[in-house]
Amino acid sequence: MQLNRLAWKNLWRNKRRTLITGFSISLGVFLSVTFTGTGDYGYTNMIDASATMGLGHVTVEAKGFNETPSLDKRLKNSEKIREQIITLPNVSDATVRIMGQAMFASASKSVGGSFLAINSATESEKINLMIRAIVEGELFDENDGRGIVIGSIMAEKLKLKLGKKIVYTTTDINGEIVGEVARISAIFKTGLDEVDGAMVLLPIDRVRKTLGYTADESSMITVIISDQRRAEELRDQLTTMINDPETEVLSWQQTQRDLTGLITIDKTTNYLSQVLVGLVIAAGILNTLLMGVMERTREFGIMMAVGMPPSALFRLVILESFWLAIVGLIMGVMITAPWYWYLLEVGLDFTEMFEEMGGYSAGGVLIDPIMHIRLFKESIIAILSGVFILTLISGLYPAWRAVKTNPVETLKTI
Amino acid sequence: MNQSNQPIVQLTDITRTYIQGEIEVNAVSNFNLEIKQGDFATLCGPSGSGKTTVLNMIGALDEPTSGIVSIEGQSLSELSRSEISALRRDRIGFVFQSYNLIPVLTAYENAEFVLALQGVKPAERHDRVMQVLKEVGLEGLENRRPDEMSGGQQQRVAIARAIVTRPAIVLADEPTANVDSATAEALLDLMQELNKNDGVTFLFSTHDQRVIDRAKRVIHLRDGQLESDVLQ
Ligand SMILES: Nc1ncnc2c1ncn2[C@@H]1O[C@H](COP(=O)(O)OP(=O)(O)OP(=O)(O)O)[C@@H](O)[C@H]1O
Ligand SMILES: [Mg+2]
Repeated sequence: MQLNRLAWKNLWRNKRRTLITGFSISLGVFLSVTFTGTGDYGYTNMIDASATMGLGHVTVEAKGFNETPSLDKRLKNSEKIREQIITLPNVSDATVRIMGQAMFASASKSVGGSFLAINSATESEKINLMIRAIVEGELFDENDGRGIVIGSIMAEKLKLKLGKKIVYTTTDINGEIVGEVARISAIFKTGLDEVDGAMVLLPIDRVRKTLGYTADESSMITVIISDQRRAEELRDQLTTMINDPETEVLSWQQTQRDLTGLITIDKTTNYLSQVLVGLVIAAGILNTLLMGVMERTREFGIMMAVGMPPSALFRLVILESFWLAIVGLIMGVMITAPWYWYLLEVGLDFTEMFEEMGGYSAGGVLIDPIMHIRLFKESIIAILSGVFILTLISGLYPAWRAVKTNPVETLKTI
Repeated sequence: MNQSNQPIVQLTDITRTYIQGEIEVNAVSNFNLEIKQGDFATLCGPSGSGKTTVLNMIGALDEPTSGIVSIEGQSLSELSRSEISALRRDRIGFVFQSYNLIPVLTAYENAEFVLALQGVKPAERHDRVMQVLKEVGLEGLENRRPDEMSGGQQQRVAIARAIVTRPAIVLADEPTANVDSATAEALLDLMQELNKNDGVTFLFSTHDQRVIDRAKRVIHLRDGQLESDVLQ
């Protein structure tokens, strides 16, 4: 039966009403794409930026290090494990690091901070925000050398310049206080005060000697992947691969809790506002379909009288809501595509607003002041199915009302 | 498949009671009727005498409070809802007083509607619809939508839709009530021809003297009861 064609024709009986409802659906698509798309872009951006601040998307470390970092929680065989990880698909980089606390002092002053001891051969600016943010000098290339890279704020506090000496003190694996002298090979400026004032990069082999680590011991292996959404999948894969009760594999959700919390809250508000918009739109769809049904009771009575089964009538109204969803989606794509393209290619520039607010960071992570958009495939599917589910659900009650038509009653009135 | 000795419609001791507030109204009471193959009969009687109620029960749109309605020997009370729906689709044609048609469909599509419900193949549907539209005098108007046709033409489409499935009986509730006199005569000519040439069985309800004059059989109702049943 050409129920589909009949449904399509019925939809256009009241063009204005259908177009208005289609427009409201398209507005929902527009809002949904904007909310979801800026989220998909923004979260990925923040997660990827955060990953380059030390802990990566996935971290392999000695059990318990994440909860209470201490020098006696050491990852053995780090280089060997790293070799294995780097060959995995989706892994774009992996690097061995030692993390710890230290006091940094110049002749005049001293400040507390954290060090990240790195292997200059495997580190790059791609996976390390501090290297990326170097404004003066160059990263040390000897892992056993005396180089150090400090942030601009620390340099200012200690009144130190490039090439000057700095002394750092920390505790070794035996709990002894140990000190080293280093020479500033570079200064970075990330724009994040807590990083620029308290983080330093040190050569890993030198730190191993200072702390009493063997050549293959470290705090962690930091893994960077091409798609942040696969972090948990990779974590599980690595856990199985390494299969060592003394070793723990964690995803960014576990190592970067502040960011995870921030994203969760943002996602939830985002999601709730979309649900609210969806409900308002659904009410509009329901109203349109119900009016359409109530105006046609006589027609339904005749159709049932001549032998149309109630199930077919039910399907007819559901098909009308289906086509309404299609119309709304097409209109939605028409109004959303240019906007999407604009956000994708040009973006919205929030630089001035951010400057007024005093910075570009959220949850300790740098954010891009130019807002772009990006939609993950699963978000597109979610938006499309959301529109369809909402529309079809809105059609259920009108369809049920249509089926309830009593031919005798409706035929009585001319 | 039915020999003319088996009635197409048999109403046995039908009573239809409506409850209005506290009081019971017998729209039809203790009513008996047989309609035979080839009948061209009309129900008549004053307003409220029960004509529509009788037609609705024959058309399986309404159920009697007591008594038996049989169509071609099949008692309707034994049928399920979907069987009733299929019976209306396959064995009964309906023509109502007005606004019979689906407004978004053309004359052709309206006539085709029930055939499509029956699952008749498109090619056969096409042949039968074109044939029947020609028979009711609508050749060339296949693509008109109801709002592009006169009341008489719309009634012709309704008649086409009713007979295209070759039903056992066509039930027509005041089919001429909303058309002018000349159109009424033309519609009656058409139905009379269909009855005479193709043996289509008709049962009307009417106030219209023209219908009564042309009917081969006139069934009078008064207060829901049979007053007279006259062959003429
Ligand atoms: N749904 C209903 N509820 C209550 N009473 C009803 C209902 N339908 C019909 N009746 C009553 O049943 C009686 C018969 O009505 P019916 O419509 O069959 O008469 P009719 O002969 O077709 O009249 P008309 O010539 O005006 O069409 C009337 O008294 C009417 O008021
Ligand atoms: Mg009546």
